[in-house]
Amino acid sequence: MSERHDLAVTVAGLEQEFRARDGVVRALDGIDLTIEPGELVTLAGPSGCGKTTLLRILAGFVEPTRGTVEVGGRPVRGPGRERGVVFQQPTLYPWLDVRDNVALGPKVRGVAKAERYRTAERYLELVGLADVAGLRPYELSGGMQQRAQIARVLTNDPEIVLMDEPFGALDALTRERLQEELLTIWRETGKTILFITHGVDEAVFLGSRVLVMSPRPGRIVLDEPARFSTDGHQVPPADLRALPEFTALTTKVREAISHP
Amino acid sequence: MIRPPAPSRWLPPVVTLVVVLAAWSAVSASGIVQPAYLAPSPLEVWDAFLRANTNHAVGGGVDRVVRGEEGYYLWEHLVVSLQRIGGGLALAIVVAVPLGLAMGTVGWFERVVGPYVDFLRSLPPLAYLGFLVAWFGIGDTSKVALLFLAAFPPIALATLNGVRGIREDRLNAVRSLGASRRQTITTVVLPATLPDILSGLRVAVGFAWTTVVAAELVNGLPGIGGLAYLSGTQNKLALSVACIIVIGLTAIVLDLIIRTLEKKLVPWRGKA
Repeated sequence: MSERHDLAVTVAGLEQEFRARDGVVRALDGIDLTIEPGELVTLAGPSGCGKTTLLRILAGFVEPTRGTVEVGGRPVRGPGRERGVVFQQPTLYPWLDVRDNVALGPKVRGVAKAERYRTAERYLELVGLADVAGLRPYELSGGMQQRAQIARVLTNDPEIVLMDEPFGALDALTRERLQEELLTIWRETGKTILFITHGVDEAVFLGSRVLVMSPRPGRIVLDEPARFSTDGHQVPPADLRALPEFTALTTKVREAISHP
Repeated sequence: MIRPPAPSRWLPPVVTLVVVLAAWSAVSASGIVQPAYLAPSPLEVWDAFLRANTNHAVGGGVDRVVRGEEGYYLWEHLVVSLQRIGGGLALAIVVAVPLGLAMGTVGWFERVVGPYVDFLRSLPPLAYLGFLVAWFGIGDTSKVALLFLAAFPPIALATLNGVRGIREDRLNAVRSLGASRRQTITTVVLPATLPDILSGLRVAVGFAWTTVVAAELVNGLPGIGGLAYLSGTQNKLALSVACIIVIGLTAIVLDLIIRTLEKKLVPWRGKA
């Protein structure tokens, strides 16, 4: 694993406008945000508030209308290897088996086959997919595809992982399992993670810091530290969720979403 | 699961075949059609087919033995025609796939080239056969050029269509893994477009086959289309019908080959 997890994300004065049929739509309005290395920042907000837009700007897929985005002090100009992206819909390639999908990052960097398979194997194991490495993505369930996608991003060893509602389309049980797995991975790898969700419980449960975005135009209206993900791993998730602090933060986040 | 097809699937076409052959035999035996050579019986067609594939005496008291028809066996005529479309298609693939990829990935290039590929597609290939003969002579070159021009618009346009249909996040995903523009094309755009390329190829093969048979009207021997035409003009209708049947069956086999290729190369079609 990389020794350098020291790239902070700095967003300043970020505004995003889209040209729509009936004029200009403001998607983001004055976002200022710094994500420190090693944080697991969850970003919650109503659907359509611009949280995915923010993620796509950080990923380098979209250029902001105004403002700056820097990673490790360098302005973002397009997608980059140090910023891995886990998409809402798994973007695995059906012409590759799961192993080759997961090993794709090292492959485009020219890493030798044996070595990239070794790395892929480790992350496949970490997400519990070692025994389906030879299958094609479409032979996997939705939850397994999402795991494979996470393994692919981790195998590429980015500094920052941007996750766009990755568990949104999954059933409740699978989602809870993957949430716990994500926390394990975060603790083991120390990656910086930005996790977008529309689930209040998910945001509070996962985040080391919880952000809430207002409805369009999106602004950050709540920025709270959380510690359930950091020191909660000795406590079973169900008990954790029953803690008064957990409920208190959940209420606070919910209120921030409904009355920004 | 591999099961023999149910009789409800194969029986109807077999019945059709039997009825058609019976009616055909009846008509040619009845002598309604005069002169009789205009209606060769199925047996005469089969006979002509066999003769065309063997050495046989010229007949009429001359003991000279000739090879097949027009100096070639029928299957050799067929192979020559297939070689022509093989050449034309190979050229078309080599040119059309990169062209389609370029059109799909470089916006201005599509605007510059696209309308002309569309124009070319809308032309019946035989319209420019005369032009090609003037350029490349009456031999094989003009025919291969014709097939190339006939086959490449459907492949190029299918490729373009495929590139346009790629979900944006499929491209974003590989770019986020660190792929360069070129790597994005080779690792994602090309394989993602493969199903469309093969669909285009299937259209192109069908089109090229009808075109080659027609193109062989001009100096088409050896060639199955040329033989079908010539034998008709020489009143050897049994041979002409035999050629027609071979041409049709070949088209079906070609289509089958490409569909098998599709299943082999894009097993994910319809699944992802």
